[in-house]
Amino acid sequence: MNLLPHILNGITLGLLFALIALGFMLVVGLMEQINLAHGSLFALGAYLAFVVVSGRLPLPVEWVREWLLVPLAWRYAAALVVAPLLTALAGMVLELCVRRTYGKDPLYGLLLTFGAAMVIEELIRLVWGTRDYVLPVPPSISGGMIFWDLIWSTYRFYAAAFSIGAIGLVWLFIERTPYGAIIKAGAHDSEIVRALGIDLTRLRLYVFAFGTLLAALAGIIVAPIWGIRPHMGVDAVVPAFLIIVLGGVGSFWGAVAAGILVGLVVGVSGAYASEWSLLSMYILLIAVVTFRARGLSGKKSLLEA
Amino acid sequence: MARHGSDATQLVTPAMLAVVGVLASLPLWIGQVGLYPYIGIEIVIWAIYALSFNLLLGYTGLPSFGHGAYFGIGAYAFGLFQQNVLPGLWPCLAAAAGAAALAGLVVAAFISHRRGIYYAFMTIAFGQVFWVVAIKSHAITGGEDGLLRIQRAPADFGIVSFDLRDNVSLYYFVLGVFAVVLVALWRLVNSPYGRILQAVKQNETRAAFVGYNVWLYKFSVFALSAALSGLAGGLFAMAQTSAFPDVMSLHYSGYVVMMTLIGGGIVSFWGPVIGAALFLLARDAIGAVTTAWMLWFGLLFMLVVLFKPEGIAGWWQDLRREGGARRPGLARLRMLFGG
Amino acid sequence: MVLFEAENLQMRFGDRTVLENVTLSFGAGKLYGIMGPNGAGKTTCFNVLTGRYRPTRGRVRIDGEDITGLPPHLIARKGVSRSFQIMNLFNDFTARDNVMTALPEMRARSFETRRAVASDAKLADAAEAVLARVGLAGKGDVRAKNLSYGDRRALEIGVALAAAPRVLFLDEPTSGLGSDGTARLAGLIGTLKGQLTIVVIEHDMPFLFGLADEISVIHWGQVIAQGTPGELRANDWVRRSNLGKLQ
Repeated sequence: MNLLPHILNGITLGLLFALIALGFMLVVGLMEQINLAHGSLFALGAYLAFVVVSGRLPLPVEWVREWLLVPLAWRYAAALVVAPLLTALAGMVLELCVRRTYGKDPLYGLLLTFGAAMVIEELIRLVWGTRDYVLPVPPSISGGMIFWDLIWSTYRFYAAAFSIGAIGLVWLFIERTPYGAIIKAGAHDSEIVRALGIDLTRLRLYVFAFGTLLAALAGIIVAPIWGIRPHMGVDAVVPAFLIIVLGGVGSFWGAVAAGILVGLVVGVSGAYASEWSLLSMYILLIAVVTFRARGLSGKKSLLEA
Repeated sequence: MARHGSDATQLVTPAMLAVVGVLASLPLWIGQVGLYPYIGIEIVIWAIYALSFNLLLGYTGLPSFGHGAYFGIGAYAFGLFQQNVLPGLWPCLAAAAGAAALAGLVVAAFISHRRGIYYAFMTIAFGQVFWVVAIKSHAITGGEDGLLRIQRAPADFGIVSFDLRDNVSLYYFVLGVFAVVLVALWRLVNSPYGRILQAVKQNETRAAFVGYNVWLYKFSVFALSAALSGLAGGLFAMAQTSAFPDVMSLHYSGYVVMMTLIGGGIVSFWGPVIGAALFLLARDAIGAVTTAWMLWFGLLFMLVVLFKPEGIAGWWQDLRREGGARRPGLARLRMLFGG
Repeated sequence: MVLFEAENLQMRFGDRTVLENVTLSFGAGKLYGIMGPNGAGKTTCFNVLTGRYRPTRGRVRIDGEDITGLPPHLIARKGVSRSFQIMNLFNDFTARDNVMTALPEMRARSFETRRAVASDAKLADAAEAVLARVGLAGKGDVRAKNLSYGDRRALEIGVALAAAPRVLFLDEPTSGLGSDGTARLAGLIGTLKGQLTIVVIEHDMPFLFGLADEISVIHWGQVIAQGTPGELRANDWVRRSNLGKLQ
């Protein structure tokens, strides 16, 4: 069997996993909070993007007709901006609730966001029903291409490139901006942050919103591959959580590496037993965490208390 | 965990009599309030499940968020044992508890040295593994179509045998199991073993340094809780006459957490029972009006986590503390129903 | 007679050596003090002696029996008990239940599931006796988290004492206490002196020099001086250091 396509497929899948985990990681990093609603916000982003692209807006019919005359590429680009921003607003509302749990046992934040995940998912069902939707993408990034006598989906390359770009930008943001420095400090020592005269409350709100925005972006990128359905939130949040635990809490490159590793394992095991490929990531996690308490490169954190 | 006062030494407490008494009368009036006896079966089974779950969350402080796995394994084990090994009720229930205990032992061996969020996530990961296996092993479990044609075997007590095919008789059977579980768990949580579980919850380090093997307690209580959850799952398979993978999903695992927390499992023995009843009644009551009942229950859950993590039982205990002296009649009632 | 001894202990975390060649021996029924600046390795030393860490080299023995590298609960069962600098109590338990949990009688019944703890008057009596020993008689029904700071410090010792140890390690028992509280704790530890072997880490020098039979000074992870309080008063390092400022 030629494994190369499966390996390439695994790497693109891994980049998508890393993209899904990015926002989750920021929130864990700064607030030591597990945001179980991350997946639902990811789904919400995809649904909102679908609404924007397909023009199913609660607007006068003529406006919608006008909007649909705009080329798909432009509508898609608009969705890529509007949907994450709207989702980030929802994230900010959630943060107003979550902030009550800071400093308490992280279990409360976990439970609260679990409730929020339920609520968002039910809202999605209420508004859009349980059917699947397909997010239309511009022709320039859809379709396929052929090399090595194999058909490759153009969209997957686009998605992988988008993920790499997003990972790079988030890394630059964390490493090269003063905000990033604060985010890194904030995770370990909120006193230093306060001493620097930074409004930690506001910083947390913005970081949570940013994390949500990344979740929504991931949702939009993944939507054409997974389809848009209410359950996609759970399908995203469990791998995101898994990747953070595997990579180690508080480690950026640990998480990225874990994402790619998970993608590879799922992709390659899919070559042999496609039915069971989802199991492989859990087995990978159990194998790693059994021997390395904090994943591949984690630091000590409140989450162990 | 609150002290259970002088009740702690009793085999059967007034609260148990009151709860089982009220539940026993349920088939007499449930039709009049627009519900049906089957919901009684569900409430009692989920109460057993939530009580066993609370052994971990409330008493030992272990966040097991993939607990649906053991409930589901119990349900499948009940059905498979019945269809392939022995059809009798007792062996099937034993198989349900046994299979879940076995799964619990394996998982506990991997996670009992973990704490906090890592523990929570490892339980989720194992729960997902069992769920995926249940869905994908189509030949054994029937996959998403479920394991069908599970019989409600008669409860044979040697001298008498009860037919359980009727919902009311099945209800009294599960209520009987519930009563036994109540007595056993009440013994357990007030025994030295239960006391040490609570010590482990509060301070693992301290417990280890006065000579307790913390790992062994976390390990054993997980298996015990899994076994009881499996028993509840076996009863559930009997009630539904089938077993489905969805009870093992993350959602359903979350439901038992929600029930336990809303009811007040963190501070009260009775919290999980209150929560299970409220959850299922709310499902039917709100569900009759809107399909999005989970939306409202989810919001309620968020409010409880934010403002009253001690849940309904905690709120009740507060009321007793404040108002008990002023209104003696009410206080007596509360003594009966206590925290 | 030597009851507890540590021989050539070395403890490394990664490339940092926290303890180097620490050798200590504690005789039955005596009171030992351990002093040294912050970060010198005193608490790490306790952690190695009581099983929280396994030393990278060296041996720990109680009554001649090698207990190196055993987990804390097994070392505790050999009769080694400790208190913590940052208090470790069962905060939601009452003071009585805190002490009761540590009793050897409780440990012996720890997998018993049928009889209620509350039905056993002997356990309660034994717990009350320990509470009285640490000056908490009458406070048995107060939850640990609701006790005053001084009472919590006393309870911390009570829990360690309830395990009926042969050797009791106390890590800065007066930490955070004012002079009255320190005097109370000194009095309490004074009453325990002679009943069992006690090893105390302490910064309060008058306290230590007034109580201890022998004192070891740990600095940079090594024992740099050892002797009776009288001998140490004359020690150069002690005299030069801020630690040794004695009247």
